[in-house]
Amino acid sequence: MPEPLLLVENLTVAFGGLIAVRDFSLAVAPGAIHALIGPNGAGKSTTFNCISRFYQPSSGRIHFDGLDITRLPAARMAGLGVARSFQNLELFNELSVFENVMIGAHVHCGGSLRAMLRARPPETMRRVEAILARTGLADFHATKARNLDFGRQKMLELARALAIRPRLLLLDEPAAGLRNREIAALDRLLSTLAREDGVTVLIVEHVMQLVMSISDRITVLNFGAKIAEGSPADVRNDPAVIEAYLGEPGLHG
Amino acid sequence: MRSLALLVALAALVALPFATTGYVVYLANLLLTFTVICLGMHLVLGEAGQFSLAQAAFYGIGIYTSGLSGAAFGWPFPCSVLAAGLVSAVVGLLIGGLALRMRDIYLALATFAFGEAMQWVLMDWTSVTGGPNGLHIAPARLFGLQLLTDKQAYPAVLVIAILMLGLAILLSRSRLGRAFRAVRESEVAAMAMGVPVKSTKLIAFALSAFFAGVGGGMFALYSTYIHPDSLGFQTTILVLTMVVVGGLGSIAGAVGGAIVFGLISELLRQTPSYQEVIYGLILIVFMMFAPKGLFAFLGESFGRLRRA
Ligand SMILES: Nc1ncnc2c1ncn2[C@@H]1O[C@H](COP(=O)(O)OP(=O)(O)O)[C@@H](O)[C@H]1O
Ligand SMILES: [Mg+2]
Repeated sequence: MPEPLLLVENLTVAFGGLIAVRDFSLAVAPGAIHALIGPNGAGKSTTFNCISRFYQPSSGRIHFDGLDITRLPAARMAGLGVARSFQNLELFNELSVFENVMIGAHVHCGGSLRAMLRARPPETMRRVEAILARTGLADFHATKARNLDFGRQKMLELARALAIRPRLLLLDEPAAGLRNREIAALDRLLSTLAREDGVTVLIVEHVMQLVMSISDRITVLNFGAKIAEGSPADVRNDPAVIEAYLGEPGLHG
Repeated sequence: MRSLALLVALAALVALPFATTGYVVYLANLLLTFTVICLGMHLVLGEAGQFSLAQAAFYGIGIYTSGLSGAAFGWPFPCSVLAAGLVSAVVGLLIGGLALRMRDIYLALATFAFGEAMQWVLMDWTSVTGGPNGLHIAPARLFGLQLLTDKQAYPAVLVIAILMLGLAILLSRSRLGRAFRAVRESEVAAMAMGVPVKSTKLIAFALSAFFAGVGGGMFALYSTYIHPDSLGFQTTILVLTMVVVGGLGSIAGAVGGAIVFGLISELLRQTPSYQEVIYGLILIVFMMFAPKGLFAFLGESFGRLRRA
């Protein structure tokens, strides 16, 4: 196995007396789509928040591309190429779809004073246009984020993260609440992102049909601890996973 | 169409001192000064979403810096106006560094407290500020020239106001302005996009202090006297009301609010005892019925009429 792009070692997160994540380790290979699944409250979002540096773990280490990021501030992550979406939408509601994605490109608009003063650097504009087309938002340029329908708001979360030009994309339940057609589009988009653009994806998701279809590898969390890890086929047939999360085969979508 | 309107407005502004009395020019100077202070309030509150209830204090720091430096060093006025802005900005950085640890109502209260403390300093630091006797401001100078009247000061005031308007537009459209709006809309998401939230807020705060300080420097160009009493909370509320009445979040709103509400407040000067109550009422009415400001409200109402 090549050097992992993301390496989480012995992560433990306590909120007061509650231990949300317990001695959890994870290695994500470059270019892979890696899913993190498990019942509600298992600690998936907490793990995400530690990796994206919004939470400080009680103990353990996190490395990205060989760099120890355990103590870096959250605002540094975009510059390193780590992008995230939020489980409960965190859009810039009063701003247009276009502006939302432009802010995603924030770390790429610096450099010179001239670059910083430009409202719309042409090269960034082109990239933003391409991202909007790819996420099906091209017709909604000027629409305020708050006025989009739910499915498109979810897509905008993803579009904004893509503008960071991520090497690692952290997606927290991107398919929650989407309709089947939208899930199929997401499936295609994430697959091409990983296969063609070489983006590494770590995804938390309950929609098993999506997880099983796109994932190279799946890690299962329960009560803050890892209970299984392997290929989709391995995990689907793992008795501990069926017991804790999936239920009998066929029962789950 | 829009550039034509701008040209007409500019021509009117240039022609003003030739066509009107000294009082009108005085009023124009004052409105331009408040326009610049409102632009600062627009940046910190309208764009970055951070309360600063200390604008009158920064304005005051600007007036005293400009007045004192003009008298002590005989600086030409562009230097003292710039010094006024810079000293305010530095104080703004220090105060912002402390106050921005808090948010929302706590930030508002902390900046309010600073404003009150500043007024107290101006009142009690008698050896420098003249304290309760106020400060006599020497006429502004540029090489051999002295600006002795409102009409003489007006061109300088107008040019500074236009420069500051240009600066506000440039900032608002830049990467920094975009970061301001990101912080206003969602600090969490802004952080995930790589926007350093704390320093972005601090820059907005210091910039608003800079604008208010330059406003103070402008005031010193056409005024001969300042007393700490006119730098209290009611002045901050006046600026806040202007920006809210004009429309939070747009530069046109800040400018329009400064002018329209500046005129209203000049009319109300005959009734000083009711003034604050009336400001307060106007503020509340606008926040309830026209939260996007007078101009957006009028635009929407006309739109509705036309459709009906
Ligand atoms: N900021 C927080 N403060 C206190 N408890 C938290 C916080 N975030 C998460 N938790 C708790 O940690 C546990 C794991 O939550 P979470 O990571 O959101 O689970 P998941 O995303 O797997 O559903 C839950 O019991 C949750 O209540
Ligand atoms: Mg979660």
